[in-house]
Amino acid sequence: MKIRTAKYIIKEGILNTYRNKLMSIASVGIVAAALIIFGIFYLISINLSNYTKALSDMPEMEVYCDPNLKDDQVAKVAEGIWKNGNIKDAQKVTKEEAFEKLKKLLRQDEQQLMTDGDDLWKGYDESFMPVSFIIKLDDPDKSSDTAEQLEKIDGVEKVWYEQGVIGFISKVTYWVRVISLFLITILLIIALFIISNTIKLTVFARRKEINIMKYIGATDWFIRWPFIIEGIIIGLVGALFAFVFVSYLYNMAEVKINKDLIKISFNSIRFVRLSEIGVTVIGIYSIIGVAVGSIGSIFSIRKYLHV
Amino acid sequence: MVEFRNVMKKYSNGTVALKGVNLRINKGEFVFIVGSSGSGKSTLMKMVLKEENPTEGDVYVNGYHVSSMDRRQVPYLRRSLGTVFQDFRLLPNKTVYENVAFAMQITEALPKEIRRQVPMSLALVGLSKKANVYPNQLSGGEQQRVAIARALVNNPALLIADEPTGNLDPENSWEIMKLLSEVNHRGTTVIIATHEKIIVDTMKKRVVAIDKGIIVRDQQKGLYGDEDKDCKIYN
Repeated sequence: MKIRTAKYIIKEGILNTYRNKLMSIASVGIVAAALIIFGIFYLISINLSNYTKALSDMPEMEVYCDPNLKDDQVAKVAEGIWKNGNIKDAQKVTKEEAFEKLKKLLRQDEQQLMTDGDDLWKGYDESFMPVSFIIKLDDPDKSSDTAEQLEKIDGVEKVWYEQGVIGFISKVTYWVRVISLFLITILLIIALFIISNTIKLTVFARRKEINIMKYIGATDWFIRWPFIIEGIIIGLVGALFAFVFVSYLYNMAEVKINKDLIKISFNSIRFVRLSEIGVTVIGIYSIIGVAVGSIGSIFSIRKYLHV
Repeated sequence: MVEFRNVMKKYSNGTVALKGVNLRINKGEFVFIVGSSGSGKSTLMKMVLKEENPTEGDVYVNGYHVSSMDRRQVPYLRRSLGTVFQDFRLLPNKTVYENVAFAMQITEALPKEIRRQVPMSLALVGLSKKANVYPNQLSGGEQQRVAIARALVNNPALLIADEPTGNLDPENSWEIMKLLSEVNHRGTTVIIATHEKIIVDTMKKRVVAIDKGIIVRDQQKGLYGDEDKDCKIYN
């Protein structure tokens, strides 16, 4: 294609969009609405997976051995743990460490009551404490399976893990993704129809012109391109509106929610910053906008090209 | 230039429009195609533009084997000929100049070429002064002249005109016919499908008469002819 032809095509596309103002605005609105809903679900799902990931970095599973185990038996348990396929990291907590931890924990609570805290521990030593392993998992989604497997190792007394939270979050994430996929599909189909209808109006209004163009020897692409440009303009403007709206909304939510989130989670969990995902979002938006716009146009003009 | 070999056309509704047409039009000729409505005249014209395909037989136009041509090649065939229609078919939102220039734009011609060719073409049809006027501000005869200017702007070797005077009064009809005849004198082959008995009889050019899908008469310096008589002679 020559540059002057491209110029002509783009000019015509813009003019078409303008001549067809009302329907163009309606289509832009529909595209924007579809993308906004998609964007909200997308951002929720991104944050949830981020949350799941943050959780998986925290100790999520602890394996307690029988306190009566000898050192070589403990080593065997460690071996058994490492044999499991879902272990990212396993850290041993010795009896002494466990005892110290316990003492510290209790002292904190009793500081005001007990003047002589050490008396409490008279006659006790670390021997009653179990050796334990703090474990991080590769795939937190499978934590219940992994816990079951670890419990079967000889000498393991108990496996504790954050069953509720991780399981719940990964389930929510899964459903958010399914629902957003479902919604976006439906919304995109609707957007496709609306755009294609808008273009159909332009095409219909200009069917005589198309017919004339065919007779004086215009190629199909020469006729088609301005309409595709029209569709792309609608798609892109819709995407732009959606992006501005969603990022404004998200920024507000981020500021508000992060304050609380950081308090609750001791700074380990926070909202993903818009700057980190903005480019991805605008990229996805433009691709969807262009695709929906051009496919919609191609659909609607096909019929009129057969002369 | 244009050749029909044993062309048969049967429409999907069963109508047989052409029953074995053989026709050869050479370079530089001026030909009237005459016949009543439903004679197959329009089908013949449509085949030259590849608007219709023959059911059987071959059509050649400007060196293109039209009947077996790929759909994507059709624009290039149409660029190689100029076309004039009964209803002018001008773009209403473009000026006279733009309408003519548009035929060059679609061929991706150089802007320099366009600026040179369009005024020449408009001068040929005598509408230089109306270059910046919109079609709806022109009379029918003037609109048809714009259409002719557009058809000629790419210097086609062949000009096809389907009832070019069908919407015009006698005076304008004459103007248009004279213009087409002048175009022919400059070397362009001209094929005109028409009903205008008086014009055909006066101009004494080659006349091809079609009736019920067959060519019933083909004569140089012919007359429109009496169809009843034709039927008697040839059927």
